[in-house]
Amino acid sequence: MTFIAIIITYVFINNFILNQFMGMCPFIGVSKDYESAVGMGFAVTFVTSVASLATWCVQHFLLIPFGLTYLQTITFILVIAALVQFVEMVVHKVSPSLYKSLGIFLPLITTNCAVLGIALIAVGKNYNALESFVAGLAAGLGFLLAIVLMSCIRERLADEDIPKAFKGAPIAFITASLMALAFMAFDAALLNNLIG
Amino acid sequence: MIKTVISIALRLMIICLVAAGALAYVNGITAPQVAASKAQAELDALSVINQAGTIGKKVEGDGAGVNYYFPVTDNGTVTNYILSLKSQGYGGDLIILANFKANGEIIDAKLMEDAETPGLGKKAEESWYMNKFKGTGASTPVPVKKTMLAAADADVISGATITFTGVSKALEYGSDFAKKLGGQQ
Amino acid sequence: MIKEFTKGLFKENPIFVIALGLCPTLATSTMVINALGMGAGVIFVLVCSNIFISLLKDFIPDTVRIPAYIVVIAAFVTIVQMVMEAYCPALYAALGVFVPLIVVNCIILGRAEAFANKNKVLPSILDGLGMGIGFTISLTLIALIREVLGSGTITLPGCVITVPGISLAPIRVIAFPAGALLVLGLLRAYFQHRSIKK
Repeated sequence: MTFIAIIITYVFINNFILNQFMGMCPFIGVSKDYESAVGMGFAVTFVTSVASLATWCVQHFLLIPFGLTYLQTITFILVIAALVQFVEMVVHKVSPSLYKSLGIFLPLITTNCAVLGIALIAVGKNYNALESFVAGLAAGLGFLLAIVLMSCIRERLADEDIPKAFKGAPIAFITASLMALAFMAFDAALLNNLIG
Repeated sequence: MIKTVISIALRLMIICLVAAGALAYVNGITAPQVAASKAQAELDALSVINQAGTIGKKVEGDGAGVNYYFPVTDNGTVTNYILSLKSQGYGGDLIILANFKANGEIIDAKLMEDAETPGLGKKAEESWYMNKFKGTGASTPVPVKKTMLAAADADVISGATITFTGVSKALEYGSDFAKKLGGQQ
Repeated sequence: MIKEFTKGLFKENPIFVIALGLCPTLATSTMVINALGMGAGVIFVLVCSNIFISLLKDFIPDTVRIPAYIVVIAAFVTIVQMVMEAYCPALYAALGVFVPLIVVNCIILGRAEAFANKNKVLPSILDGLGMGIGFTISLTLIALIREVLGSGTITLPGCVITVPGISLAPIRVIAFPAGALLVLGLLRAYFQHRSIKK
Protein backbone atom coordinates (compact mmCIF):
# COMPACT_ATOMS: atom_id res chain seq x y z
CA MET A 1 0.00 0.00 0.00
CA THR A 2 1.40 3.38 -0.92
CA PHE A 3 1.58 6.17 1.64
CA ILE A 4 -1.05 8.21 -0.20
CA ALA A 5 -3.43 5.27 -0.05
CA ILE A 6 -2.84 4.89 3.69
CA ILE A 7 -3.45 8.59 4.29
CA ILE A 8 -6.66 8.67 2.24
CA THR A 9 -7.86 5.50 3.95
CA TYR A 10 -7.46 6.75 7.52
CA VAL A 11 -8.32 10.42 7.00
CA PHE A 12 -11.41 9.96 4.85
CA ILE A 13 -12.58 6.38 4.20
CA ASN A 14 -12.02 4.84 7.64
CA ASN A 15 -12.12 8.14 9.50
CA PHE A 16 -11.44 7.13 13.10
CA ILE A 17 -14.38 9.01 14.52
CA LEU A 18 -17.01 9.02 11.83
CA ASN A 19 -16.47 5.47 10.62
CA GLN A 20 -14.69 3.55 13.38
CA PHE A 21 -15.98 5.47 16.42
CA MET A 22 -12.55 5.44 18.06
CA GLY A 23 -11.96 8.50 20.22
CA MET A 24 -15.67 9.21 20.58
CA CYS A 25 -15.48 10.33 24.23
CA PRO A 26 -13.10 13.29 23.67
CA PHE A 27 -14.85 13.98 20.36
CA ILE A 28 -18.10 14.72 22.20
CA GLY A 29 -16.44 16.03 25.37
CA VAL A 30 -13.88 18.49 23.99
CA SER A 31 -15.62 19.79 20.86
CA LYS A 32 -17.60 22.62 22.47
CA ASP A 33 -15.16 25.31 21.34
CA TYR A 34 -12.78 25.68 18.41
CA GLU A 35 -9.60 26.44 20.39
CA SER A 36 -9.65 23.34 22.55
CA ALA A 37 -10.74 21.16 19.62
CA VAL A 38 -7.65 22.22 17.68
CA GLY A 39 -5.45 21.63 20.74
CA MET A 40 -6.91 18.18 21.37
CA GLY A 41 -6.67 17.31 17.67
CA PHE A 42 -2.97 18.15 17.46
CA ALA A 43 -2.17 16.44 20.75
CA VAL A 44 -3.88 13.24 19.54
CA THR A 45 -2.16 13.42 16.12
CA PHE A 46 1.22 13.73 17.80
CA VAL A 47 0.61 10.82 20.16
CA THR A 48 -0.92 8.49 17.54
CA SER A 49 2.04 8.97 15.17
CA VAL A 50 4.71 8.45 17.83
CA ALA A 51 2.76 5.64 19.53
CA SER A 52 2.23 3.60 16.38
CA LEU A 53 5.95 3.81 15.62
CA ALA A 54 6.87 2.89 19.22
CA THR A 55 4.44 -0.03 19.38
CA TRP A 56 5.75 -1.27 16.02
CA CYS A 57 9.23 -1.39 17.54
CA VAL A 58 7.92 -3.20 20.64
CA GLN A 59 6.08 -5.72 18.48
CA HIS A 60 8.99 -6.47 16.15
CA PHE A 61 11.98 -6.22 18.48
CA LEU A 62 10.46 -7.58 21.68
CA LEU A 63 7.20 -9.50 21.36
CA ILE A 64 7.76 -11.48 18.15
CA PRO A 65 11.43 -12.50 18.77
CA PHE A 66 10.57 -13.73 22.28
CA GLY A 67 7.24 -15.33 21.32
CA LEU A 68 5.30 -13.10 23.69
CA THR A 69 2.61 -11.83 21.33
CA TYR A 70 -0.07 -12.72 23.86
CA LEU A 71 1.23 -9.83 25.98
CA GLN A 72 0.47 -7.41 23.12
CA THR A 73 -2.46 -5.54 24.69
CA ILE A 74 -0.78 -5.11 28.07
CA THR A 75 2.57 -3.91 26.71
CA PHE A 76 1.01 -1.59 24.12
CA ILE A 77 -1.14 0.19 26.68
CA LEU A 78 1.83 0.54 29.04
CA VAL A 79 4.02 1.89 26.25
CA ILE A 80 1.31 4.39 25.34
CA ALA A 81 0.80 5.45 28.97
CA ALA A 82 4.55 5.91 29.46
CA LEU A 83 4.85 7.75 26.16
CA VAL A 84 2.06 10.15 27.02
CA GLN A 85 3.70 10.84 30.39
CA PHE A 86 7.07 11.38 28.71
CA VAL A 87 5.63 13.70 26.06
CA GLU A 88 3.92 15.67 28.79
CA MET A 89 7.21 16.14 30.66
CA VAL A 90 9.19 17.06 27.54
CA VAL A 91 6.63 19.56 26.33
CA HIS A 92 6.46 21.04 29.83
CA LYS A 93 10.26 21.59 29.91
CA VAL A 94 10.85 22.60 26.31
CA SER A 95 7.92 24.80 25.50
CA PRO A 96 5.75 26.10 28.33
CA SER A 97 3.50 27.92 25.85
CA LEU A 98 2.78 24.71 23.93
CA TYR A 99 2.25 22.96 27.26
CA LYS A 100 -0.33 25.55 28.17
CA SER A 101 -2.34 24.85 25.02
CA LEU A 102 -1.85 21.06 24.79
CA GLY A 103 -0.97 20.10 28.36
CA ILE A 104 -4.43 19.68 29.80
CA PHE A 105 -5.39 17.26 27.01
CA LEU A 106 -2.39 14.99 27.28
CA PRO A 107 -3.40 12.93 30.35
CA LEU A 108 -6.77 12.23 28.69
CA ILE A 109 -5.13 10.69 25.66
CA THR A 110 -3.98 7.46 27.33
CA THR A 111 -7.58 6.27 27.46
CA ASN A 112 -8.39 7.50 23.96
CA CYS A 113 -9.34 4.44 21.91
CA ALA A 114 -7.80 5.97 18.81
CA VAL A 115 -4.23 5.62 20.08
CA LEU A 116 -4.37 1.95 21.08
CA GLY A 117 -6.70 1.33 18.13
CA ILE A 118 -4.32 2.50 15.41
CA ALA A 119 -1.40 0.72 17.10
CA LEU A 120 -3.30 -2.58 17.05
CA ILE A 121 -4.63 -2.06 13.51
CA ALA A 122 -1.17 -1.18 12.15
CA VAL A 123 0.33 -4.31 13.69
CA GLY A 124 -2.63 -6.41 12.50
CA LYS A 125 -2.18 -5.20 8.93
CA ASN A 126 1.54 -6.02 8.95
CA TYR A 127 2.66 -2.52 8.09
CA ASN A 128 6.39 -1.80 8.14
CA ALA A 129 7.82 0.85 10.48
CA LEU A 130 7.31 3.79 8.14
CA GLU A 131 3.83 2.68 7.10
CA SER A 132 2.86 2.34 10.77
CA PHE A 133 4.05 5.87 11.44
CA VAL A 134 2.13 7.22 8.43
CA ALA A 135 -0.99 5.29 9.47
CA GLY A 136 -0.73 6.78 12.97
CA LEU A 137 -0.27 10.25 11.54
CA ALA A 138 -3.23 9.82 9.17
CA ALA A 139 -5.49 8.47 11.91
CA GLY A 140 -4.62 11.49 14.04
CA LEU A 141 -5.25 13.86 11.15
CA GLY A 142 -8.62 12.22 10.56
CA PHE A 143 -9.45 12.81 14.24
CA LEU A 144 -8.26 16.42 13.94
CA LEU A 145 -10.40 17.01 10.84
CA ALA A 146 -13.54 15.57 12.43
CA ILE A 147 -13.18 17.31 15.80
CA VAL A 148 -12.40 20.71 14.22
CA LEU A 149 -15.39 20.48 11.85
CA MET A 150 -17.56 19.40 14.78
CA SER A 151 -16.42 22.27 17.01
CA CYS A 152 -17.23 24.84 14.31
CA ILE A 153 -20.75 23.43 13.97
CA ARG A 154 -21.25 23.25 17.73
CA GLU A 155 -20.15 26.85 18.22
CA ARG A 156 -22.96 27.87 15.90
CA LEU A 157 -25.42 25.44 17.44
CA ALA A 158 -24.81 27.07 20.83
CA ASP A 159 -26.68 30.18 19.63
CA GLU A 160 -29.58 28.26 18.12
CA ASP A 161 -32.91 27.60 19.76
CA ILE A 162 -32.68 23.85 20.27
CA PRO A 163 -35.42 21.88 22.10
CA LYS A 164 -34.33 21.27 25.70
CA ALA A 165 -34.26 17.50 25.30
CA PHE A 166 -31.73 17.80 22.47
CA LYS A 167 -29.37 20.35 24.07
CA GLY A 168 -25.77 19.26 24.56
CA ALA A 169 -24.80 15.69 23.80
CA PRO A 170 -27.94 14.51 21.88
CA ILE A 171 -27.70 17.19 19.20
CA ALA A 172 -23.94 16.60 19.04
CA PHE A 173 -24.54 12.93 18.22
CA ILE A 174 -27.10 13.82 15.57
CA THR A 175 -24.69 16.35 14.06
CA ALA A 176 -21.98 13.69 14.03
CA SER A 177 -24.45 11.31 12.38
CA LEU A 178 -25.03 13.75 9.52
CA MET A 179 -21.27 14.22 9.17
CA ALA A 180 -20.82 10.45 9.04
CA LEU A 181 -23.48 10.32 6.33
CA ALA A 182 -21.49 12.84 4.30
CA PHE A 183 -18.28 10.87 4.87
CA MET A 184 -19.97 7.78 3.40
CA ALA A 185 -19.21 9.35 0.04
CA PHE A 186 -15.60 8.37 0.67
CA ASP A 187 -15.37 4.63 0.19
CA ALA A 188 -13.03 2.04 -1.23
CA ALA A 189 -14.25 2.90 -4.75
CA LEU A 190 -12.71 6.36 -4.34
CA LEU A 191 -9.34 4.80 -3.62
CA ASN A 192 -9.63 2.45 -6.59
CA ASN A 193 -10.50 5.32 -8.92
CA LEU A 194 -7.72 7.56 -7.63
CA ILE A 195 -4.90 5.06 -7.42
CA GLY A 196 -6.17 2.09 -9.36
CA MET B 1 13.01 9.08 49.52
CA ILE B 2 15.00 6.42 47.66
CA LYS B 3 13.41 3.75 49.81
CA THR B 4 9.87 4.78 48.79
CA VAL B 5 10.86 4.90 45.11
CA ILE B 6 12.24 1.37 45.34
CA SER B 7 9.17 0.18 47.17
CA ILE B 8 6.88 1.71 44.52
CA ALA B 9 8.92 0.21 41.68
CA LEU B 10 8.98 -3.20 43.39
CA ARG B 11 5.24 -3.26 43.93
CA LEU B 12 4.52 -2.22 40.36
CA MET B 13 6.92 -4.87 39.13
CA ILE B 14 5.25 -7.57 41.22
CA ILE B 15 1.86 -6.65 39.73
CA CYS B 16 3.30 -6.77 36.21
CA LEU B 17 5.00 -10.10 36.80
CA VAL B 18 1.90 -11.71 38.32
CA ALA B 19 -0.19 -10.41 35.40
CA ALA B 20 2.28 -11.70 32.82
CA GLY B 21 2.48 -15.07 34.58
CA ALA B 22 -1.32 -15.40 34.64
CA LEU B 23 -1.49 -14.55 30.94
CA ALA B 24 1.20 -17.06 30.06
CA TYR B 25 -0.81 -19.71 31.91
CA VAL B 26 -4.09 -18.91 30.16
CA ASN B 27 -2.28 -18.68 26.83
CA GLY B 28 -0.89 -22.15 27.40
CA ILE B 29 -4.45 -23.46 27.73
CA THR B 30 -6.10 -21.52 24.91
CA ALA B 31 -3.37 -21.44 22.24
CA PRO B 32 -3.74 -25.11 21.19
CA GLN B 33 -7.52 -24.66 21.17
CA VAL B 34 -7.21 -21.61 18.89
CA ALA B 35 -4.96 -23.47 16.49
CA ALA B 36 -7.25 -26.51 16.54
CA SER B 37 -10.45 -24.54 15.86
CA LYS B 38 -8.76 -22.62 13.04
CA ALA B 39 -7.55 -25.83 11.42
CA GLN B 40 -11.00 -27.40 11.92
CA ALA B 41 -12.77 -24.43 10.28
CA GLU B 42 -10.49 -24.71 7.25
CA LEU B 43 -10.95 -28.48 7.04
CA ASP B 44 -14.74 -28.07 7.18
CA ALA B 45 -14.68 -25.47 4.43
CA LEU B 46 -12.32 -27.58 2.34
CA SER B 47 -14.55 -30.63 2.56
CA VAL B 48 -17.64 -28.57 1.65
CA ILE B 49 -16.19 -27.05 -1.52
CA ASN B 50 -14.17 -30.06 -2.61
CA GLN B 51 -16.30 -32.30 -4.86
CA ALA B 52 -14.15 -35.34 -5.42
CA GLY B 53 -10.50 -36.13 -5.43
CA THR B 54 -7.71 -35.98 -2.89
CA ILE B 55 -6.55 -32.72 -1.45
CA GLY B 56 -2.80 -32.42 -1.78
CA LYS B 57 -0.15 -30.57 0.17
CA LYS B 58 -0.53 -26.86 0.94
CA VAL B 59 1.54 -24.64 -1.40
CA GLU B 60 2.45 -21.00 -0.65
CA GLY B 61 0.70 -18.43 -2.90
CA ASP B 62 2.11 -15.54 -4.91
CA GLY B 63 2.06 -13.00 -2.08
CA ALA B 64 -0.49 -10.83 -3.93
CA GLY B 65 -3.99 -12.19 -4.40
CA VAL B 66 -3.39 -15.82 -3.48
CA ASN B 67 -2.46 -16.65 0.12
CA TYR B 68 -1.89 -20.36 -0.50
CA TYR B 69 -3.42 -23.19 -2.48
CA PHE B 70 -3.97 -26.95 -2.51
CA PRO B 71 -3.76 -29.01 -5.69
CA VAL B 72 -6.57 -31.60 -5.89
CA THR B 73 -5.70 -34.87 -7.58
CA ASP B 74 -7.86 -37.64 -8.99
CA ASN B 75 -5.95 -40.87 -9.62
CA GLY B 76 -2.64 -39.02 -9.72
CA THR B 77 -3.62 -36.26 -12.19
CA VAL B 78 -4.30 -32.74 -10.96
CA THR B 79 -7.90 -31.83 -11.79
CA ASN B 80 -8.65 -28.91 -9.49
CA TYR B 81 -7.05 -26.28 -7.27
CA ILE B 82 -8.44 -24.96 -4.01
CA LEU B 83 -7.19 -21.42 -3.50
CA SER B 84 -7.26 -19.12 -0.50
CA LEU B 85 -7.82 -15.67 -2.04
CA LYS B 86 -7.41 -12.23 -0.51
CA SER B 87 -9.29 -9.10 -1.55
CA GLN B 88 -10.61 -5.77 -0.26
CA GLY B 89 -14.25 -5.45 0.77
CA TYR B 90 -16.25 -2.54 2.17
CA GLY B 91 -15.28 -3.02 5.80
CA GLY B 92 -11.84 -4.58 5.40
CA ASP B 93 -10.07 -7.60 3.97
CA LEU B 94 -11.98 -10.50 2.45
CA ILE B 95 -10.62 -14.04 2.59
CA ILE B 96 -12.25 -16.45 0.15
CA LEU B 97 -11.66 -20.17 -0.25
CA ALA B 98 -12.52 -21.29 -3.78
CA ASN B 99 -12.33 -24.46 -5.84
CA PHE B 100 -11.27 -24.07 -9.49
CA LYS B 101 -10.90 -26.59 -12.27
CA ALA B 102 -7.48 -26.57 -13.91
CA ASN B 103 -9.03 -24.65 -16.85
CA GLY B 104 -10.08 -21.84 -14.49
CA GLU B 105 -13.75 -22.77 -14.09
CA ILE B 106 -15.20 -21.95 -10.65
CA ILE B 107 -16.71 -25.00 -8.95
CA ASP B 108 -17.55 -23.50 -5.58
CA ALA B 109 -16.44 -20.74 -3.23
CA LYS B 110 -16.89 -19.72 0.37
CA LEU B 111 -16.27 -16.43 2.14
CA MET B 112 -14.11 -17.24 5.15
CA GLU B 113 -13.37 -13.85 6.75
CA ASP B 114 -14.92 -10.44 6.26
CA ALA B 115 -15.97 -7.25 8.05
CA GLU B 116 -18.92 -6.33 5.84
CA THR B 117 -22.15 -4.54 6.76
CA PRO B 118 -24.86 -6.83 8.14
CA GLY B 119 -27.80 -7.08 5.74
CA LEU B 120 -25.74 -5.81 2.81
CA GLY B 121 -22.23 -7.09 2.14
CA LYS B 122 -22.60 -9.71 4.90
CA LYS B 123 -24.92 -11.61 2.53
CA ALA B 124 -21.82 -12.76 0.71
CA GLU B 125 -21.25 -15.20 3.58
CA GLU B 126 -24.36 -17.14 2.62
CA SER B 127 -23.94 -20.09 0.28
CA TRP B 128 -26.35 -18.90 -2.45
CA TYR B 129 -24.29 -15.73 -2.95
CA MET B 130 -21.54 -17.66 -4.69
CA ASN B 131 -23.96 -19.49 -7.02
CA LYS B 132 -23.82 -16.73 -9.61
CA PHE B 133 -20.10 -17.31 -10.01
CA LYS B 134 -20.27 -21.08 -10.38
CA GLY B 135 -19.41 -22.36 -13.83
CA THR B 136 -17.79 -19.11 -14.93
CA GLY B 137 -14.10 -18.50 -15.43
CA ALA B 138 -13.40 -20.88 -18.32
CA SER B 139 -15.69 -20.42 -21.35
CA THR B 140 -17.69 -17.55 -19.82
CA PRO B 141 -15.84 -14.74 -18.02
CA VAL B 142 -16.24 -14.21 -14.25
CA PRO B 143 -18.93 -11.54 -13.77
CA VAL B 144 -17.04 -8.55 -12.38
CA LYS B 145 -19.67 -5.91 -13.22
CA LYS B 146 -23.35 -5.74 -12.34
CA THR B 147 -24.23 -5.56 -16.04
CA MET B 148 -22.78 -9.04 -16.54
CA LEU B 149 -25.36 -10.56 -14.18
CA ALA B 150 -28.96 -11.62 -14.66
CA ALA B 151 -31.41 -8.95 -13.49
CA ALA B 152 -32.48 -10.91 -10.40
CA ASP B 153 -28.88 -11.45 -9.31
CA ALA B 154 -27.98 -7.81 -9.91
CA ASP B 155 -30.89 -6.79 -7.67
CA VAL B 156 -29.59 -8.89 -4.80
CA ILE B 157 -26.19 -7.23 -4.75
CA SER B 158 -27.49 -3.64 -5.08
CA GLY B 159 -26.35 -1.61 -2.09
CA ALA B 160 -23.28 -3.80 -1.67
CA THR B 161 -21.41 -3.20 -4.90
CA ILE B 162 -18.03 -2.90 -3.23
CA THR B 163 -18.37 -6.32 -1.61
CA PHE B 164 -19.42 -7.76 -4.95
CA THR B 165 -16.44 -6.16 -6.70
CA GLY B 166 -14.10 -7.47 -4.00
CA VAL B 167 -15.44 -11.03 -4.26
CA SER B 168 -15.59 -11.10 -8.05
CA LYS B 169 -12.11 -9.57 -8.52
CA ALA B 170 -10.68 -12.19 -6.17
CA LEU B 171 -12.40 -15.01 -8.05
CA GLU B 172 -11.28 -13.64 -11.42
CA TYR B 173 -7.71 -13.46 -10.12
CA GLY B 174 -8.00 -17.00 -8.77
CA SER B 175 -9.35 -18.28 -12.07
CA ASP B 176 -6.37 -16.78 -13.93
CA PHE B 177 -4.02 -18.20 -11.30
CA ALA B 178 -5.50 -21.69 -11.75
CA LYS B 179 -5.18 -21.38 -15.54
CA LYS B 180 -1.53 -20.43 -15.18
CA LEU B 181 -0.87 -23.44 -12.98
CA GLY B 182 -2.57 -25.43 -15.73
CA GLY B 183 -2.56 -28.91 -14.19
CA GLN B 184 0.92 -28.69 -12.65
CA GLN B 185 1.46 -29.80 -9.07
CA MET C 1 -25.86 -2.58 49.49
CA ILE C 2 -28.39 -3.37 46.78
CA LYS C 3 -28.19 0.29 45.75
CA GLU C 4 -24.62 -0.27 44.53
CA PHE C 5 -26.04 -2.76 42.07
CA THR C 6 -29.09 -0.91 40.78
CA LYS C 7 -27.47 2.51 40.33
CA GLY C 8 -25.59 1.29 37.25
CA LEU C 9 -28.79 0.09 35.64
CA PHE C 10 -30.68 3.38 35.71
CA LYS C 11 -29.54 6.35 37.74
CA GLU C 12 -25.90 6.22 36.68
CA ASN C 13 -26.34 4.22 33.48
CA PRO C 14 -22.89 4.40 31.90
CA ILE C 15 -24.04 4.97 28.33
CA PHE C 16 -27.18 7.05 28.49
CA VAL C 17 -26.50 9.11 31.60
CA ILE C 18 -22.75 9.35 32.25
CA ALA C 19 -21.73 8.85 28.60
CA LEU C 20 -18.70 6.63 29.07
CA GLY C 21 -17.48 3.83 26.83
CA LEU C 22 -18.98 5.19 23.65
CA CYS C 23 -16.62 3.69 21.06
CA PRO C 24 -17.57 0.04 21.65
CA THR C 25 -21.22 1.02 22.05
CA LEU C 26 -21.35 2.48 18.60
CA ALA C 27 -19.03 0.08 16.84
CA THR C 28 -20.32 -3.26 18.12
CA SER C 29 -24.03 -2.50 18.05
CA THR C 30 -24.58 -3.69 14.48
CA MET C 31 -25.97 -7.04 15.62
CA VAL C 32 -27.61 -8.17 18.87
CA ILE C 33 -25.23 -11.11 19.23
CA ASN C 34 -22.18 -8.84 18.99
CA ALA C 35 -23.63 -6.54 21.63
CA LEU C 36 -24.25 -9.46 23.98
CA GLY C 37 -20.71 -10.78 23.45
CA MET C 38 -19.17 -7.36 24.02
CA GLY C 39 -21.34 -6.90 27.12
CA ALA C 40 -20.27 -10.25 28.55
CA GLY C 41 -16.61 -9.34 28.02
CA VAL C 42 -17.03 -5.96 29.71
CA ILE C 43 -18.95 -7.46 32.68
CA PHE C 44 -16.20 -10.03 33.23
CA VAL C 45 -13.38 -7.50 33.06
CA LEU C 46 -15.22 -4.95 35.16
CA VAL C 47 -16.10 -7.37 37.97
CA CYS C 48 -12.64 -8.99 38.04
CA SER C 49 -10.73 -5.71 37.95
CA ASN C 50 -13.01 -4.26 40.65
CA ILE C 51 -12.34 -7.31 42.88
CA PHE C 52 -8.58 -7.16 42.44
CA ILE C 53 -8.28 -3.42 42.77
CA SER C 54 -10.34 -3.34 45.97
CA LEU C 55 -8.22 -6.21 47.35
CA LEU C 56 -4.95 -4.56 46.35
CA LYS C 57 -5.87 -1.01 47.30
CA ASP C 58 -3.39 -0.96 50.20
CA PHE C 59 -0.67 -2.68 48.19
CA ILE C 60 -0.82 -0.34 45.18
CA PRO C 61 1.18 2.86 45.83
CA ASP C 62 -1.01 5.91 45.37
CA THR C 63 1.42 7.75 43.06
CA VAL C 64 1.44 5.01 40.41
CA ARG C 65 -2.12 3.76 40.87
CA ILE C 66 -3.28 4.51 37.31
CA PRO C 67 -0.55 2.41 35.60
CA ALA C 68 -1.17 -0.35 38.15
CA TYR C 69 -4.91 -0.32 37.40
CA ILE C 70 -4.17 -0.40 33.68
CA VAL C 71 -1.98 -3.48 34.11
CA VAL C 72 -4.70 -5.29 36.07
CA ILE C 73 -7.38 -4.34 33.53
CA ALA C 74 -5.21 -5.21 30.51
CA ALA C 75 -4.45 -8.63 32.01
CA PHE C 76 -8.16 -9.46 32.32
CA VAL C 77 -8.89 -8.08 28.86
CA THR C 78 -6.20 -10.32 27.39
CA ILE C 79 -7.74 -13.31 29.18
CA VAL C 80 -11.14 -12.46 27.65
CA GLN C 81 -9.45 -12.07 24.27
CA MET C 82 -7.73 -15.45 24.46
CA VAL C 83 -10.77 -17.33 25.77
CA MET C 84 -13.03 -15.73 23.14
CA GLU C 85 -10.60 -16.57 20.34
CA ALA C 86 -10.39 -20.17 21.52
CA TYR C 87 -14.05 -20.92 22.19
CA CYS C 88 -16.11 -18.38 20.16
CA PRO C 89 -13.93 -17.62 17.11
CA ALA C 90 -16.88 -16.24 15.12
CA LEU C 91 -17.68 -13.68 17.81
CA TYR C 92 -13.99 -12.83 18.16
CA ALA C 93 -13.76 -12.19 14.42
CA ALA C 94 -16.90 -10.04 14.45
CA LEU C 95 -15.75 -7.84 17.36
CA GLY C 96 -12.21 -7.60 16.00
CA VAL C 97 -10.03 -4.86 17.41
CA PHE C 98 -12.76 -3.83 19.86
CA VAL C 99 -11.97 -6.76 22.16
CA PRO C 100 -8.47 -5.49 23.08
CA LEU C 101 -9.92 -1.99 23.11
CA ILE C 102 -11.95 -2.91 26.22
CA VAL C 103 -8.74 -1.84 28.02
CA VAL C 104 -9.39 1.79 27.19
CA ASN C 105 -13.12 1.59 27.87
CA CYS C 106 -13.42 4.51 30.29
CA ILE C 107 -16.11 2.72 32.33
CA ILE C 108 -13.62 0.21 33.71
CA LEU C 109 -10.84 2.60 34.68
CA GLY C 110 -13.53 5.01 35.85
CA ARG C 111 -15.06 2.48 38.28
CA ALA C 112 -11.62 1.47 39.55
CA GLU C 113 -10.75 5.08 40.31
CA ALA C 114 -14.15 6.21 41.56
CA PHE C 115 -15.33 3.14 43.46
CA ALA C 116 -13.17 0.03 43.83
CA ASN C 117 -10.14 1.74 45.38
CA LYS C 118 -12.28 3.19 48.16
CA ASN C 119 -14.58 0.27 48.94
CA LYS C 120 -14.56 -3.30 50.19
CA VAL C 121 -14.71 -6.32 47.91
CA LEU C 122 -18.44 -7.11 48.07
CA PRO C 123 -19.73 -3.61 47.25
CA SER C 124 -17.11 -3.45 44.48
CA ILE C 125 -18.42 -6.67 42.94
CA LEU C 126 -21.99 -5.35 43.03
CA ASP C 127 -20.89 -2.03 41.58
CA GLY C 128 -19.03 -3.76 38.74
CA LEU C 129 -21.93 -6.11 38.08
CA GLY C 130 -24.48 -3.29 38.04
CA MET C 131 -22.41 -1.04 35.79
CA GLY C 132 -21.56 -3.93 33.48
CA ILE C 133 -25.17 -5.05 33.18
CA GLY C 134 -26.31 -1.45 32.69
CA PHE C 135 -23.76 -1.14 29.89
CA THR C 136 -24.87 -4.42 28.32
CA ILE C 137 -28.57 -3.56 28.44
CA SER C 138 -28.00 -0.16 26.81
CA LEU C 139 -25.68 -1.65 24.20
CA THR C 140 -28.17 -4.42 23.40
CA LEU C 141 -31.03 -1.93 23.17
CA ILE C 142 -29.11 0.09 20.57
CA ALA C 143 -28.12 -3.07 18.73
CA LEU C 144 -31.74 -4.31 18.72
CA ILE C 145 -33.01 -1.04 17.25
CA ARG C 146 -30.21 -0.94 14.68
CA GLU C 147 -30.48 -4.56 13.61
CA VAL C 148 -34.28 -4.58 13.33
CA LEU C 149 -34.47 -1.31 11.40
CA GLY C 150 -31.19 -1.66 9.50
CA SER C 151 -31.34 -5.24 8.30
CA GLY C 152 -34.69 -6.62 9.48
CA THR C 153 -33.22 -9.44 11.54
CA ILE C 154 -32.48 -10.25 15.18
CA THR C 155 -29.37 -12.39 15.54
CA LEU C 156 -29.34 -14.26 18.85
CA PRO C 157 -26.87 -16.94 19.88
CA GLY C 158 -27.87 -19.98 17.87
CA CYS C 159 -30.75 -18.52 15.85
CA VAL C 160 -31.65 -15.66 13.55
CA ILE C 161 -35.15 -14.16 13.70
CA THR C 162 -36.31 -12.45 10.54
CA VAL C 163 -38.68 -9.56 11.16
CA PRO C 164 -41.51 -9.82 8.62
CA GLY C 165 -42.01 -6.74 6.49
CA ILE C 166 -38.88 -4.83 7.45
CA SER C 167 -36.46 -7.46 6.20
CA LEU C 168 -37.67 -6.91 2.63
CA ALA C 169 -36.90 -3.19 2.66
CA PRO C 170 -34.79 -2.33 5.70
CA ILE C 171 -33.66 1.24 6.44
CA ARG C 172 -30.14 0.37 5.45
CA VAL C 173 -28.47 3.54 6.66
CA ILE C 174 -29.23 2.53 10.28
CA ALA C 175 -26.76 -0.36 9.89
CA PHE C 176 -24.03 2.09 8.86
CA PRO C 177 -21.94 4.24 11.23
CA ALA C 178 -24.20 7.25 10.61
CA GLY C 179 -27.18 5.24 11.84
CA ALA C 180 -25.41 4.32 15.07
CA LEU C 181 -24.82 7.97 15.90
CA LEU C 182 -28.41 8.88 15.01
CA VAL C 183 -29.93 6.14 17.20
CA LEU C 184 -27.68 7.04 20.14
CA GLY C 185 -28.48 10.75 19.72
CA LEU C 186 -32.24 10.12 19.76
CA LEU C 187 -32.01 7.78 22.77
CA ARG C 188 -29.92 10.34 24.66
CA ALA C 189 -32.52 12.99 23.84
CA TYR C 190 -35.25 10.73 25.24
CA PHE C 191 -33.34 10.19 28.51
CA GLN C 192 -32.62 13.92 28.77
CA HIS C 193 -36.31 14.63 28.18
CA ARG C 194 -37.28 12.27 31.00
CA SER C 195 -34.85 13.81 33.46
CA ILE C 196 -36.08 17.33 32.64
CA LYS C 197 -39.67 16.29 33.27
CA LYS C 198 -38.76 15.02 36.72
